[in-house]
Amino acid sequence: MTRVGIPHGLFYYYYYPWWKTFFNYLGAEVVCSNPTTRLTVDQGIGAAVDEICFPLKVYFGHVLELKRYELDWIFIPRMVSVEHRSYICPKFMGLPDMIRASIPDLPPIIDITVDVSQSNRILKRDLLQLGKLFTSRESRIREAIKRAREEQNFCDTLASQGYTREEAIQLWEGKATHSFQAPILNLGVLGHGYSLYDAVINMNLINHLRNMGCRLWFPESLDADDVETSAATIPKRVFWTLGRKMVGSAIHLSQQPEIDGIIYLACFGCGPDSLIGEIIERQINDKPYMLLTVDEHSGETGMITRLEAFCDMLLRRKNTGNEDNISAHGQYAYCRQSTI
Amino acid sequence: MDFYLGVDIGSVSSNFVLMDSQGKIHEKVYLRTEGNPVRAISTGYSILKKDMTQNQQIKGVGTTGSGRLLAAVMLGADVVKNEITAHAVAASNLYPEVRTIIEIGGQDSKMILLKHGIVNDFAMNTVCAAGTGSFLDQQAARLGVPIEQFGDRALDSSGPVRIAGRCGVFAESDMIHKQQMGYPLEDIIMGLCEALARNYLNNVGKGKKIEEPLVFQGGVAANLGIKKAFEKILGMQVMVPEHYDVMGAIGAAYLAGETIEHNRQATSFRGDDFVLQGKFSSISRECSGCANMCEVVCIRRDGEALAYWGDRCKKWENSLQPSSKKAAGDTMAI
Repeated sequence: MTRVGIPHGLFYYYYYPWWKTFFNYLGAEVVCSNPTTRLTVDQGIGAAVDEICFPLKVYFGHVLELKRYELDWIFIPRMVSVEHRSYICPKFMGLPDMIRASIPDLPPIIDITVDVSQSNRILKRDLLQLGKLFTSRESRIREAIKRAREEQNFCDTLASQGYTREEAIQLWEGKATHSFQAPILNLGVLGHGYSLYDAVINMNLINHLRNMGCRLWFPESLDADDVETSAATIPKRVFWTLGRKMVGSAIHLSQQPEIDGIIYLACFGCGPDSLIGEIIERQINDKPYMLLTVDEHSGETGMITRLEAFCDMLLRRKNTGNEDNISAHGQYAYCRQSTI
Repeated sequence: MDFYLGVDIGSVSSNFVLMDSQGKIHEKVYLRTEGNPVRAISTGYSILKKDMTQNQQIKGVGTTGSGRLLAAVMLGADVVKNEITAHAVAASNLYPEVRTIIEIGGQDSKMILLKHGIVNDFAMNTVCAAGTGSFLDQQAARLGVPIEQFGDRALDSSGPVRIAGRCGVFAESDMIHKQQMGYPLEDIIMGLCEALARNYLNNVGKGKKIEEPLVFQGGVAANLGIKKAFEKILGMQVMVPEHYDVMGAIGAAYLAGETIEHNRQATSFRGDDFVLQGKFSSISRECSGCANMCEVVCIRRDGEALAYWGDRCKKWENSLQPSSKKAAGDTMAI
């Protein structure tokens, strides 16, 4: 059986169900690298050019892991645009070339260009072309595309129920689930999916917040139309697909009274984030907001301090005005009037 | 008499205060951590202990700072809190009306905005530590001026020179250039103070509404040059509390008091013998259990493991619970 490797990074988080279904239906076996570990990170940093952002470096680590398996193909799509008049960061455009130049002796790379900024005609043509690597029957390829889209939609629906995209993919594959407890805080948590849903890149952000009793709202948890409507309220349209979703999500969340605060996770080396993080801060007015910047650090202390302080602040704000200052968290919320 | 012990273990300094139930500070100890928080904690405690009499007792312990977990394990803490909350609590007890806190420590700088005595917003430096205590320390050493006199020298300046404060590396090269051109040292030092105050306000205070009363605390508040620079740039009065250097520890002591009084519980403080008699050591080792290669830290007292942290899967952390002690075993041969 033909084996296609898919690195567990970047747009894996957004399109893995599509890709896997497509290749499986055409009779190929899909081999995905394991979730990011410290080893993936170390190897990725060692292999990657030093100017790119952290998630891209980690992706190199995933490719290196796949290199150890016996594969016929490695799937590294050239992501240019996934919707009309919007773009993905230009570094993604060069990704297959960067990989080829930095990592020798890889199996052949499938680097289909995904660019639907003008129309999806060329992508359709290229997909049919790609399918011919696996089957000569065009009808089968068309069916594979149809099924891939259906599975993707199903997984997106799962992701809309408060799961991270990584959890949604696990659920879609029939694996573990996560049960939510009654929250003491509702937080919007935003960031590029490939940073936000990778437990190593995000320095365990999601788990820390959930352990502190927070219910998290991701861009995927929101109605896509609400996000777009909110994103359209700023003077200039953001032409980065992910950036626009973040701005729209942030503005929408900032208008929901039940949301206590918003956290934005940015990568230090990310060009779009350096603007998007600022735009959000200016657009959301009164909602408490915290921008966290991550890079190759591995000490979580700084992250935990900020998260604790943010949650403490929100709890204390919430509890002032109440008769007692006892938070549901079990900790005594400080109040100035109390005498010691 | 009963005291609350507040401990703030920072990257550069380790601070200890003994506070009575009226909020009066009876004793404070300011030590350099010198990269060895374990030693700093036992030294700090033994110094405090020396001045305590038989009938004086510790009724509660609070820890904060980046070494708060370590201190909590070694002393037995009733409350373990992040630095931001601790600093805010300390300042708002001293100045109930305070609206803005500028806190600059060894590695971190923070701005905390309060409304009605509770934290309303805060910011912390991100990846850049320019302008924090360790950078000032380093510059003072380079210029051969003891750090304690650094601020006073700045005040002697008649016309500060302009130094690039955007980045520690730029600031240093700019200072060297100005120095080589013959500008007096005082003017360069004051220029640096202004550059760092500007950098702080641009990076940490970015876009925040700074309102009076304003309190400046943390180790760097000892530097009168920086205080003056803030006053000049903001056009506001900057208050520096008497115990500006141990405010985190004071906050931790207040929080300990609250916890104890509210829960009406006995303290988890481990007692003198535990802290002073045992030999504490910390060992770290890369766990080889999986590809995550977590750097696991083990805190030991006389060879017995007290705590583990740093492991993602919590295998080591949970191994200390009596039921599972055998399961993981103390096989981490460290």
